Amino acid sequence: MLEQEFPGASGAISPIRGGRQAAEQQIRKIDGKRYARSRDHLNGAVTGLSPYIRHGVLTLAEVRDAVFQSINNRDDGSKLINELGWRDFWQRMWQELGDHIDDDQEVFKTGHSASSYSRELPDDIRDGCTGLACMDGFREELVSTGWLHNHARMWMAAWLVHWRHVHWKAGADWFLEHLLDGDPASNHLSWQWIASTFSHKPYFFNRDNLERYSGGNFCKSCSSANHCPFDASYEQLETKLFAQRVPIRDVPARRQGHRSKSTARPNPSTQRF
Amino acid sequence: MDLKQPIVWVHEESLGSTNPALEDYPEAPALFVFDQDWIDSKHISRKRLGFLYECCLDLPVTIRKGNVVAEVLAFANRYGADGVISSGAVEPRLQRHGAAINRDCPLWILDGEPFVELPRAPRLGRFSRYWREAEPVVWESYKASG
Ligand SMILES: Cc1cc2nc3c(=O)[nH]c(=O)nc-3n(C[C@H](O)[C@H](O)[C@H](O)COP(=O)(O)OP(=O)(O)OC[C@H]3O[C@@H](n4cnc5c(N)ncnc54)[C@H](O)[C@@H]3O)c2cc1C
Repeated sequence: MLEQEFPGASGAISPIRGGRQAAEQQIRKIDGKRYARSRDHLNGAVTGLSPYIRHGVLTLAEVRDAVFQSINNRDDGSKLINELGWRDFWQRMWQELGDHIDDDQEVFKTGHSASSYSRELPDDIRDGCTGLACMDGFREELVSTGWLHNHARMWMAAWLVHWRHVHWKAGADWFLEHLLDGDPASNHLSWQWIASTFSHKPYFFNRDNLERYSGGNFCKSCSSANHCPFDASYEQLETKLFAQRVPIRDVPARRQGHRSKSTARPNPSTQRF
Repeated sequence: MDLKQPIVWVHEESLGSTNPALEDYPEAPALFVFDQDWIDSKHISRKRLGFLYECCLDLPVTIRKGNVVAEVLAFANRYGADGVISSGAVEPRLQRHGAAINRDCPLWILDGEPFVELPRAPRLGRFSRYWREAEPVVWESYKASG
């Protein structure tokens, strides 16, 4: 029916099933305590509920109550409830911003101007032939299932914006073509959080971080493992990726420990949200 | 004043059995429309369409595709409806559809259970500010339920 009715739509059906039954199967597996310990790992106990929440198959209130039922004390559930809070927060932001959600919320804190970022998604990324096993792997999962782990979304977005110098909106629009949970609120504002147009500093990562939370699975088989663009310390990457901000005016020499704020670059963020 | 013979318009943010319009008006004919303009302009993939379709199959809805406003009004017309019942939407596109429907046929919006009900609009801007106000209230219902 879908092929007949929507001949223009691309791709195949996702293995993730829609509907209440599929949603209930997932919600029964919620384990707040395990979630808190493992959610940053690609194979962690994340819920997979986002497509159902996005489309109202489950309300956030139902998921909240399911979390409460899965825990014995508040500490065990606070992480997962916090993440549900993120969804609620982005939705409220969207309500307030309306169509302005498509705009940069603030200036980039990367030292680069908004106009320096490419507005086109490069073909090698769209086609999944960048030669980076991790990024090509994430692209494959995104395109074939319509879902990606939060950490994979963060790495991919950071790589696109900070390494490939693609404007967040080009990447965000591409995500929305594929994500079953695709939602300009969570999606655009997360991309902006990473890009630094909705945060105090850009988010980036390095190979150690990706290897650790992906169980090293990509690096083992990666043809670029010996010239990996992420294989550096945070300090090295910071120098490479972000432009030094030019002082607004010449700052007179100061005593040590009193560097002027206007010349200092904001510390980039390596923490997840 | 109550609507005597309404129809229900179900949209992409409320494809569940807890949809308040479906819950409160179980007898009313209900409609879901695949928004052709949105699908074309955003290049929505078949995965997403398949997912939405499977969600609709669980619900007592007629499925159409095309221009959402025109389809909803035609459906209302066919049933001689005196109004349309729907659920709240955050997406501006859906809000615009609602406003356009309401110009020709009264639209009633019902809200479902919120994640957290705050006494006054929270301060947004950054998550931490919002969460400082919202988190304690969310957890009140844990104490109440446990
Ligand atoms: C670049 C980028 C793009 C994103 N785009 C979307 C999007 O289009 N739609 C979307 O729903 N989420 C988006 N997220 C947020 C998050 O990645 C997904 O909600 C989460 O990975 C979905 O998997 P899950 O259901 O297993 O989440 P879990 O970790 O199990 O969390 C449970 C639920 O909490 C909510 N949630 C969790 N983390 C976040 C978060 N960081 N922000 C907002 N809500 C959260 C989701 O509704 C999720 O289903 C994006 C994040 C990034 C970094």
